[in-house]
Amino acid sequence: MLFPTVTFAVFFLIVLPVSWALMRHQSVWRAWILLASYVFYAWWDWRFVLLLAASTVVNHVLAVAIHRTAAIGARKVLLGLAIAFDLGFLGYFKYANFFLSTTDNVAGTSFIAHVVLPVGISFYSFMAISYVVDTYRGELVPASFARFAVFQAFFPHLVAGPIVRASELLPQLARPRDPRQVDVSRAFLLIVSGLFLKVVIANHLATSIVDEVFAAPDRHSSLEVLFGIYGYAVQIFADFCGYTNIAIGIALLLGFEFPQNFASPYTAVSLQDFWRRWHMTLSRWLRDYLYIPLGGNRKGSLKTYRNLMLTMLLGGLWHGAAWTFVVWGGIHGLGLCVERATGWRPTSSAAQWLGRIVTFHVVCFAWIFFRADSFARAWEVIRRLFTAWGAPSPLVTTSVLLAILVGIGGQYVRPGAIAAVNAGFRRLSLAGQAATFGVSLMLINTLGPVGVAPFIYFRF
Amino acid sequence: MRVRLNAAGRGIAVLFFGLLIAALLQAEGLRKQAQIQPAGFQRDLALDLTRPLVAVSRTLRLTTPRHELQLAIGRENEDRIDTAVHLSLPPPAETPATPVRRSARPQPRHVQNPAAPAVSKPLFTSARPLRVWVAGDSLAQIPGEALERVDRPALKVVGVESRLSTGLARPDLYNWFSRMQAAPVELRPKVAVFSFGADDAHDFMAGVPDGKTVGPLGSASWSAEYRRRVDGVTRELNAKGIYVVWLGLPIPDGPGFKKSFPIVNRILESVARAHPKTSTYVDTWHMLDDAHGRFAPYLRVHGKLTLMRLPDGVHYTAAAGDLIAARVLEQVHAVYRF
Repeated sequence: MLFPTVTFAVFFLIVLPVSWALMRHQSVWRAWILLASYVFYAWWDWRFVLLLAASTVVNHVLAVAIHRTAAIGARKVLLGLAIAFDLGFLGYFKYANFFLSTTDNVAGTSFIAHVVLPVGISFYSFMAISYVVDTYRGELVPASFARFAVFQAFFPHLVAGPIVRASELLPQLARPRDPRQVDVSRAFLLIVSGLFLKVVIANHLATSIVDEVFAAPDRHSSLEVLFGIYGYAVQIFADFCGYTNIAIGIALLLGFEFPQNFASPYTAVSLQDFWRRWHMTLSRWLRDYLYIPLGGNRKGSLKTYRNLMLTMLLGGLWHGAAWTFVVWGGIHGLGLCVERATGWRPTSSAAQWLGRIVTFHVVCFAWIFFRADSFARAWEVIRRLFTAWGAPSPLVTTSVLLAILVGIGGQYVRPGAIAAVNAGFRRLSLAGQAATFGVSLMLINTLGPVGVAPFIYFRF
Repeated sequence: MRVRLNAAGRGIAVLFFGLLIAALLQAEGLRKQAQIQPAGFQRDLALDLTRPLVAVSRTLRLTTPRHELQLAIGRENEDRIDTAVHLSLPPPAETPATPVRRSARPQPRHVQNPAAPAVSKPLFTSARPLRVWVAGDSLAQIPGEALERVDRPALKVVGVESRLSTGLARPDLYNWFSRMQAAPVELRPKVAVFSFGADDAHDFMAGVPDGKTVGPLGSASWSAEYRRRVDGVTRELNAKGIYVVWLGLPIPDGPGFKKSFPIVNRILESVARAHPKTSTYVDTWHMLDDAHGRFAPYLRVHGKLTLMRLPDGVHYTAAAGDLIAARVLEQVHAVYRF
């Protein structure tokens, strides 16, 4: 079930009031929201629900066992089992095709696999890992099975994040949410801004320039290729940030607070700054469960660089089972190492602007490998960027430039302006709020291209 | 009595009334969304619900803002429901279609122009390139992009139009028959490469002539009506000097489409056989199966194991697109030099 569809609107119109009606009866509420989340997930394929349920059962059993076991050795074994299960689960569904075809090509064997990737598996597997690791570290007491099942399957975050920590969501699931404490104004602004980013900006850029440029770069001028790359940078931001804005808004209406996932990433003055602003819940997951356990920056310079590179390479592989994603991670890892080695910390206004421009273009360069379906296509894009200046550029239209401008310029809007809009919406009467919401939906639907494209991050 | 809502209640009310206002403002768009759904309970219910919504919206003139906005951005016909099958040429005299024989292990088939000697083939150059238009459902996109990548100055892809879930069976969803009248004037193609049928292989067909009924997929009446459309499109475009390439449907993963796709393929192939000088059929089914005639996600290309199909078991990867594009050009070479 996709958020910007009539089906989801009907689904949410049923789920929201029933959820609040049952909120005081927590056990019934949990059953209701779990059922709703499984229906939401089963809309893609009912068999996916069995996988999600299996992940829930195994991780819960192992987390409880870890909590009840005192012996360090036994706890380590149980933790190892849980992580092996989660990574094995993720590895089989996400990487079997990738590794077997690579093996076949190198060794001339025929282990060909054809495994279908369940939507959102990377997200809920990472949430499960953080749950068992936090339990092992003694930072978390395992929740009841029902609470853990809701934590893992809660439909607003289920298929594309944000990756919510157990310590953030489980306490909220421990007691009924207060219906007087719902930030309605912020919820609707997040939903409307998310829909606008996804339906108007991301879909328009995808269909107007990005898909065409990356499908056949040799057929396009250097200017079109350049704006195709800029367009993709904005498209992926608008697509993913749009999705998480909607997810956070929906969770807010249900009474739950999710962590922020984006903070104007294209205003970053360095790559380190970029990763504090882009997919923030993944960044901190990688930091806390990979980079720091590897040793972080505590074991000397060389090991710090190794840890940075490993974290970013594995982060790349998390996004997709292809070597192009590994290269994408490698570019970011290398960039972070260079920044660390040179001590790049822009302080003056001029240096910060230089940092923003350089960082944005390094990020755009890495996006080429992220978007291209092969190395050959990525090289074609890069080569074409320098070899066809002066050729006609019909794809670089006013609407494309406007979408890129809005996508990047919108990130420079001061928080004060957003707060003012929020306050303005809050002051409206109920009729005014409903009318504003309704008219916004009509405008977004009319301005967006026909049809609903899947969100990019569903496949990760 | 004044009802005082808490924040959660206000959220529910804003959601409900906001969606109601949005529904009224775009009632005609919703009506079209309902109309183009696959036949069944959900479509019937959606049509029943949107009928009064449209009536109320029109009465209150709430359709105007969306109309005005659509007009301003040049998409004024988006909510129009057009089910007409626009075929202007009279149907041909009844002749039995060339039977398609089935062998135990068929080779990829293609129907070419056997009568055309090489010397009579029109020549296209970089100054006067062969203009190719690619159109169809979502399966048209990847072969179209592959044709765009072909580095031949005498070949120009003038458009790749891929519209998800559309076809020749459901003009209400997107009217390709109207588009096929406009595109020759607009794009001036010499070759049209069509990929249709993946979304047509179901029982429901819109735009059936008055007085006629169409049975389920595979029935004589369904096949006759679908053949009328494929044949009609071929003859209309041929009459405008356009050579038509029909891409067959590829072997799918899973049992469902394995029965329905061959029904469409047999019709496409038989129509191409009926117009051997002006159309051809590209057999993607056998191009992409394995040595045992089974679905194969990977095939060896130049010795390298290459992913050919997306995880849905239907759509192509770029590598499969390249194979199909090469076969299309090979078959077009039989009639044109470029």
